[in-house]
Amino acid sequence: MLDPFRLLEALLLITLLAGLLGLISRRNLFLKALAMDVTGTAVVALFVLVAARSGLRTPILPAPLLDDAPEAWADPIPQAVILTAIVIGLSIQALLLVVITRLARLDPLLDTASFEQLSGAAVAPSHD
Amino acid sequence: MTENPSALLIAWLLAPLLAAFSAALLPSLARPLALLSALVTAALGLALTAGLGPWSLELIGPLGVLLQFDEAAAPFVLLNGLVVLAVLLDGWRQSVPGPFLVLVMVLLAGLNSAFVAVDLVSLYVALEVVGVAAFLLVLRQRSALQLWIALRYLLVANGVMTLYLLGVALLYLRSGSFRLQALADPGLGSGTRAVVLALLLVGLLTKAGVFASGLWLPRTHAESPAEVSALLSGVVVAAGLCPLLRLSEALPMLQPLLLLIGLASALLGVFYALAESDLKRLLAWSTVSQVGLVILDPAVGGMYALAHGLAKAGLFLLAGRVGRDLNRWTVSSLPLQQALPLWCGALSIAGAPPLLGFWAKEGLSRNLSGPASSVLLVAMVGTAAVYARLCLRPLALPSGWPPLGTVLLALLLLGSGLLLAPLPPQGSIFKTLGVLAAGVALQQMLELVRRFESPQLKLPQLERLDDLLGGMAVMAALLMGLLLQGGLQWPA
Repeated sequence: MLDPFRLLEALLLITLLAGLLGLISRRNLFLKALAMDVTGTAVVALFVLVAARSGLRTPILPAPLLDDAPEAWADPIPQAVILTAIVIGLSIQALLLVVITRLARLDPLLDTASFEQLSGAAVAPSHD
Repeated sequence: MTENPSALLIAWLLAPLLAAFSAALLPSLARPLALLSALVTAALGLALTAGLGPWSLELIGPLGVLLQFDEAAAPFVLLNGLVVLAVLLDGWRQSVPGPFLVLVMVLLAGLNSAFVAVDLVSLYVALEVVGVAAFLLVLRQRSALQLWIALRYLLVANGVMTLYLLGVALLYLRSGSFRLQALADPGLGSGTRAVVLALLLVGLLTKAGVFASGLWLPRTHAESPAEVSALLSGVVVAAGLCPLLRLSEALPMLQPLLLLIGLASALLGVFYALAESDLKRLLAWSTVSQVGLVILDPAVGGMYALAHGLAKAGLFLLAGRVGRDLNRWTVSSLPLQQALPLWCGALSIAGAPPLLGFWAKEGLSRNLSGPASSVLLVAMVGTAAVYARLCLRPLALPSGWPPLGTVLLALLLLGSGLLLAPLPPQGSIFKTLGVLAAGVALQQMLELVRRFESPQLKLPQLERLDDLLGGMAVMAALLMGLLLQGGLQWPA
């Protein structure tokens, strides 16, 4: 009998590998950024899965403490950690997309090959 | 352990961030605040070096933040303060736009946290802060090239930090802890430890710019504005180096592996630096080689990083003034007030006594033996050849103001070198002079080759975006393979 935790863990690792594969194999910059988001999502989901090992209930206690069995609560620590990582990941995605938008004025197809030849003399895209 | 001045330490850690936010609101205060942040950072670095502490700070319980202000962090904190100070002084007479100073302060704060954090989550946050601040600094002039360079940097940095986070998740799953020390716990299975270590190491090695995972470094550091290059090559790589040294100290089983990777990086960097005809690219490739030497030995690594960071920051600051084309290097002349700091920095990295770099190299070669020390010797001769090329330039009489920041760095290299000087054994002086002479000879030979062949020796091009991502993947696979086999045994 396959442990559901193991199964989900394996699926998340496959998602992560798919994202990394996309990051390496895609030639389009936007798809690369998207692939990076897939890897990020996989890691976030892995943390959530790790937190859910001990139980599924949200670890927020109401004022009169419930007398539930303690193992029913989800582990708050990985959740707290991944919240930070989600925020960081989001802001990095935003920065990536801003730069990609700017670069799209040079090559609307966003093919990495056309940016590799850039040298210091290249014309800067206009600011507005 | 002495009593913790916790409040002071937290204030010290947060002060640059607070200064950055105040400077964003009151741009006229930006410069004094940045200067103050750099000075305060350097002061704590000096205090830690002088033997105050070590202090350890645990916030929010055993699963929370753990900071350690100890001698492992000391040289890095000192380096951070001094390099930022030099960069600020260097631009003192130009008007600096506000966002630059704000970013420099955020970078300073992020680096400080990365140097003192010993739990993996705080380290993750600190490294991301450093990465984003560095990304925005590279974008200081928004030319198309710099947009591309910054994008590459962020893609690589973020991709690798995802792997790092995966390692953190696996560690928590198996050990229920985020501490660096949890990795050394014998209760952790050897397979788990190998996978977690491989993921963490590939993250840190990429941040530090070592070997195949550091292929992003040369172009990024070379194409940034001069003062940003100085920050990147001087301290930003240290954000990866300091945790690497901490890991290598906590887990001695890693040392043969890091020795192998470090020496490979040293040779790779030197070969490419010798083939380069652009000053900033030469300096950047030399950074790849020098960070490789830093991770060889956790006992000397901090001092080596300090010596290298001070010298390299000065050289990059000068590179912004003296022109990049090395083919015209011997044709035009260099005014004396720029040549002297240039010599100081170059000779220090080449390892000439009595500069600080000499003592760092001494410590390094004393602790190595067997085949590793011969490879190290080759790398040192190569480095001497790289920097001999920079020193050979006609001189002109001084004119105008000396560049303040670089002069400060040169004086620091010389002064700290002299402070460290109880006379070394005769043998090591002669050996060093031999290495330097061999380097000069090698440089002269290469100069002949350069004259007859095409201006650039043809080495394979390693710096396309696909190469960077591939290098990262290869490094991850290599680390995982080696660690799963139980690590390297060579050399005992």
